[in-house]
Amino acid sequence: MSTTIRSVLRDARLAAAVATLAALAACGGGGGTAPAPATSQFLDPNHYSGTAAASLSSPNETTASTHGSLTLAGTAIAYTATAGHLSALDSNQSPEASIFYVAYTADGAAPATRPVTFFFNGGPGSASAWLHLGSFAPKRLATGVPATSQSVPFPYVDNTESLIDTSDLVFVDAVGTGLSEAIAPHTNQTYWGVDADAGVLRDFVQRWLAVNGRSASPLFLYGESYGTTRVPVLTRLLETAGRRVNGVVELSTILDYNSNCSVQGGEPSVVCAGFLPSYAAVGEYYGLATAATPDLQGDLATVRSYADSTYAPDAATWLASHTLPPPDHIAALVAFTGLPAAIWDQQFDMDYDTFRHHLIAGKTLGVYDGRMSAPLGSALDANDEPSNTFLAPGFIAGIKAVLPELGYTNPSSYLLSNDDAIGHWTFSHGGRALPDVVPDLSAAISLDPSLKILFLGGEDDLITPFHQTELDVARLGADAPVALHFHPGGHMTYLDDAARPLMKAELVAFYASATGAP
Amino acid sequence: MRNALLLPALLAAAAAQAGPFLDPGRPPVAAQQAAQAESRTRAASSGPALDSEALTHLRASFDAADVAHRGTLSREEARAGGFGWIADHFDAIDTRRAGRVSFDDVRRYLGTRGASAATK
Repeated sequence: MSTTIRSVLRDARLAAAVATLAALAACGGGGGTAPAPATSQFLDPNHYSGTAAASLSSPNETTASTHGSLTLAGTAIAYTATAGHLSALDSNQSPEASIFYVAYTADGAAPATRPVTFFFNGGPGSASAWLHLGSFAPKRLATGVPATSQSVPFPYVDNTESLIDTSDLVFVDAVGTGLSEAIAPHTNQTYWGVDADAGVLRDFVQRWLAVNGRSASPLFLYGESYGTTRVPVLTRLLETAGRRVNGVVELSTILDYNSNCSVQGGEPSVVCAGFLPSYAAVGEYYGLATAATPDLQGDLATVRSYADSTYAPDAATWLASHTLPPPDHIAALVAFTGLPAAIWDQQFDMDYDTFRHHLIAGKTLGVYDGRMSAPLGSALDANDEPSNTFLAPGFIAGIKAVLPELGYTNPSSYLLSNDDAIGHWTFSHGGRALPDVVPDLSAAISLDPSLKILFLGGEDDLITPFHQTELDVARLGADAPVALHFHPGGHMTYLDDAARPLMKAELVAFYASATGAP
Repeated sequence: MRNALLLPALLAAAAAQAGPFLDPGRPPVAAQQAAQAESRTRAASSGPALDSEALTHLRASFDAADVAHRGTLSREEARAGGFGWIADHFDAIDTRRAGRVSFDDVRRYLGTRGASAATK
């Protein structure tokens, strides 16, 4: 190690020590209610880049803070919003990456009992603005999904389902997304892999908790989409490091890339049985499923059972020899989903792209929400994916407007979706070419038997289908500390005005169970 | 015939590769191919096989902390090596009061807590 690097490390160590002392001082040592900090604006001069080779030379940790109040169930909750960067440090206290976050913390809460939840979107390459602006923060963007009529900018409204009454909320951008970037000599690509990404986020979470005097707080991690791959690895790493995780929330889950028949693209190589109930939910939404009854949940239970008992072995046979099952099996699939027999005959092991391009002639359905559709050739069909095409401009405009409202201004463009990340991502994990993080969850549970895991999702999500989640979770065994809830809705299930209140209630019950018994 | 029917979908899929951002997205082709080759020999694990994969993760963390390659860790070495959980549970794991614990000791302790069937 060169002398220069040594001295840099020493400086970083000193800075960390000073920050920790400051945080301790702010706590007053007694867990009391320090007055909320004054509003502060920050014009961040840094330019943040999401390219693979990008590397920040002068990170800063100045934050902007503003105050707000939200009334939930008749109680006003005063909170502080903090936006800015905090460096993740490795075990030598050497800086790894400058992580952008927005935290909403209730004023005057006792740190020892007040939960803190870290939210991660997925991709890889997705920034946290989806969860930040769409889900359970004190304010949210009103999208009106599954309708696609809301114009940009989406209204930014008080969130009557905010989780701020239950937990502090920290929305975290992974490296190379949003405004997060690796710190020299590292590059963004250093952290673009299943294990490296979880490692740097572990270091960020640990540092955020230390700097903010929250080392004793109940800890929750909330992942969406690839974030549900990321969070189990992160949970195992935190538990290994000795930091207890009370609860994990997995929304729109992909635990095993090897079991999702569509994520690999092209011809499926595994059975698509986990997708069948979602196809049925979408078919019922459009009134195309002749087997539908007024009881959607009952119908999905029927299809789920058919998927396991009949469709899975039929699809395995088809994969092995392209032999179709008897016609009555095809007829059952047509009745469940409304997808024509000719399509099943051609692609019996049904991937999401074939389904969403053929359910309704002349229309493309959204992969994130099969209830959203676009006529072929229409503006909404421009990217062959109407749900993201409808939503992304509203979320980009939203984050552009919200960050300055939170006192944080920066000239760089916030990277909502970074294609470079997925293109350069190291997917190998645990000895496999594509990640299976069920063993990570299993390891975390064995380290911490009181860890609890909540799986949520939308029944109309075609990219991380809910029954595949059920099948993957079942591997943990009948005694696993898990709960699963699914509702009509898409991949960003919280955007649905009917699903969000149900999810809020499930989350509140989950937090109570995960913070109750020691 | 199969190709003819699926042509629009295939064209759309090709366009999709260039156009929309997917989350979870499709891994690079080399990783997809490696995974498809693997899937012929590896099934999704559960029960004892899953527990064994879980232990492999913990074993890797143990070995990473064991920088001296002694096969055992002291409380301080566990803490310094990032396996704070071992340091926090050291006395319960170190039933022989040796001051050092092996990975077998860790596995035995996990088994006594009954968290996981195959760690017993």
